[in-house]
Amino acid sequence: MQIIVNTVVLASLYSLIGCGFVLIYRASRVVNLAQGELMAMGGYFLFTVAMGLFKDPVPSFFVASIFSMALGFMIYLFLMRFMAGESVFAAILATIALGILLRGLITLIWTSQLWHPLEKMGITNGSHTLIKDAVISTFGIVTVLSAFLIYVALFLCLKFTRWGLRMQAVGENPLLASRRGIKLHNYYALSWGVAAFTGGFAGMIQSCDSILEPGMVAIGLKTFPVVLVGGLDSLIGVIPGAFIVAIAEVIAINYISPQASEAAPFIVLLAMLLIRPWGLFGTKEELERV
Amino acid sequence: MLRKGLFAMVLSVVIMPMFFTPAFAAPEPYLVGASISVTGPGSEPLAPIKDALDIYFKEVNAKGGINGHPVKLLIEDSMNEPSRAATQARQLVTQNKVSLLILGGLSSLYAPVVQIAEQYNVPLLFLGVCPPEVYPPKADANQFCSTAFGIKFDSSFAVPFIHEQSKGSSLKLALEAMNVPLSRNEIDWAEQLAKGMGIEVVDKEVTPPPTADFTPFATKMKSSGATWAYSYGPWGMEVRTFEALRKLGWKGKYLAYGHIQAEDELKRLKDDDFYVYGTNAFFADNTQAHQRIKAMSEKEKTVYPYTQLTDGWIGATVIEEILKKVSWPATPDKVRESMNQLKVDTQGLKGGPIVWTKTNHYRTTGYYRAYKWDSKKNGIVIAKDWTAIEVK
Repeated sequence: MQIIVNTVVLASLYSLIGCGFVLIYRASRVVNLAQGELMAMGGYFLFTVAMGLFKDPVPSFFVASIFSMALGFMIYLFLMRFMAGESVFAAILATIALGILLRGLITLIWTSQLWHPLEKMGITNGSHTLIKDAVISTFGIVTVLSAFLIYVALFLCLKFTRWGLRMQAVGENPLLASRRGIKLHNYYALSWGVAAFTGGFAGMIQSCDSILEPGMVAIGLKTFPVVLVGGLDSLIGVIPGAFIVAIAEVIAINYISPQASEAAPFIVLLAMLLIRPWGLFGTKEELERV
Repeated sequence: MLRKGLFAMVLSVVIMPMFFTPAFAAPEPYLVGASISVTGPGSEPLAPIKDALDIYFKEVNAKGGINGHPVKLLIEDSMNEPSRAATQARQLVTQNKVSLLILGGLSSLYAPVVQIAEQYNVPLLFLGVCPPEVYPPKADANQFCSTAFGIKFDSSFAVPFIHEQSKGSSLKLALEAMNVPLSRNEIDWAEQLAKGMGIEVVDKEVTPPPTADFTPFATKMKSSGATWAYSYGPWGMEVRTFEALRKLGWKGKYLAYGHIQAEDELKRLKDDDFYVYGTNAFFADNTQAHQRIKAMSEKEKTVYPYTQLTDGWIGATVIEEILKKVSWPATPDKVRESMNQLKVDTQGLKGGPIVWTKTNHYRTTGYYRAYKWDSKKNGIVIAKDWTAIEVK
């Protein structure tokens, strides 16, 4: 039972980080390789807010989320906007440069030290016993619940709100969308803002459940196989992708070798690329564009 | 015209010597070059070394330097990138003409920097991770180390400590390392030692460096029925696994190598069964040396807290002792000669002096101590006092 709980928590974390990749890709066809850094920035925003502004977790999370979203908008406004019309490859390179810049900023501002935002907020990460002695931490529950709520909210927004529908239109046919009077830049910026928020939120939870350190950016890259397995242009695909990768990791730890867990996500990815290169829920056409 | 000419002559007599007279007021400095991982992945235990060196030699220079010469530290940030560290080492040796090279970085930086040190025959002092080439009986002529931890010696203290602590109760040991050579090799060595002592090793986990959640590993450790766990690797891994074990309700005892963050972390965790060990004394000892580090750190407003500066401070003390024995002008040969026969009083920051000989560039005796949190005393206590381990 504990193995199932561990898998669900890990998959939820991957889902939260992974949806940022998909949102940006769907809207602008850019693979954001700085998603891990956006995630870490969320954790550092939370730490800073908890240290200087609010001690309570709820306002701290709220303000840090606003900062994360604002960072996404700023990245689009001051960097990615200028990549419009350039090749996809150039835009991807820009995200790599962005990642390096953010990593540098993290060390410059917050140093290489290990931080504990929970300590600043004066709360502890308790344990809760579920059925059959399976245990989950408070922030494990927060991870699962927030992944669920964020995905529900995203689906509802994309299906039923004007912004969501327009965002989809921009992703599917930008030329036609602009002819219809949709301001493309606004929706690209929105996708960056939401992606930075979801990634940042994952970073906030991760820093509370574990530790805040510059090395956590690597988790973002580890999530990349999740979105490729699910389908790079499919938001719903992230969830099964996250579960498949998490299951592979947990099985490797428990039944093969702990060291094999490092390779497990990439073995799954290779298998998927051989069988169905466009991912579980992705489309063939999108793969050709990549 | 004459007046102008005289004026020019007088002016030149006064001004010219200012350009051509050697700088008589400032003696030439001892040049020490360092490539330290101040930023980059895995830099958290290494970055404070820079802080410690800076404040230490600021004080030394303020007191007149060493043998009447100031010490000039040329510190570069390698970002834990081997190629960058190699370029910096080459530049420090060939352009800056340093007589001592320092490396504070992960094991991946060894090879390229050692190559430069060998090529230009400059002594290299490790303030990060020690390579086995500094150990006796055949220590490399150019490689020296003053760092706290030492492969194969650390577990030689840790495993008997666990054995001793668990006397009278059943001992089932779980081991944990990170999937990097240094950590994995030490845990393999610990496993060998434990089995040799008749300890039942029930689990061994080797975690990948980018691990999002340590709970799956902790689950396995807990389900193995371990009563003790021993973890050797970066602090983040050690403490995250411990916290994951506690979240799962594991009630056993845990021993981790005490990196620079250990003292603050013991205070944060406040867990009576979490032990850390190492070769540096904690600030809880409050020796004069500790007070000096704290005062300097607060005065100079260091980036890192004073509790993390001990290892760098000891490194700086070693450098000072080396240079004290180097007559002017300093050359790499003179520095190496000084390093080959050195005894450094660590002023209570370690259990004894650091002694180097021609065949041992690590230390002739390692002194280990274990600490833990004591809820009754609401503070850090010594779980086992200085234990000497001969380095042969």
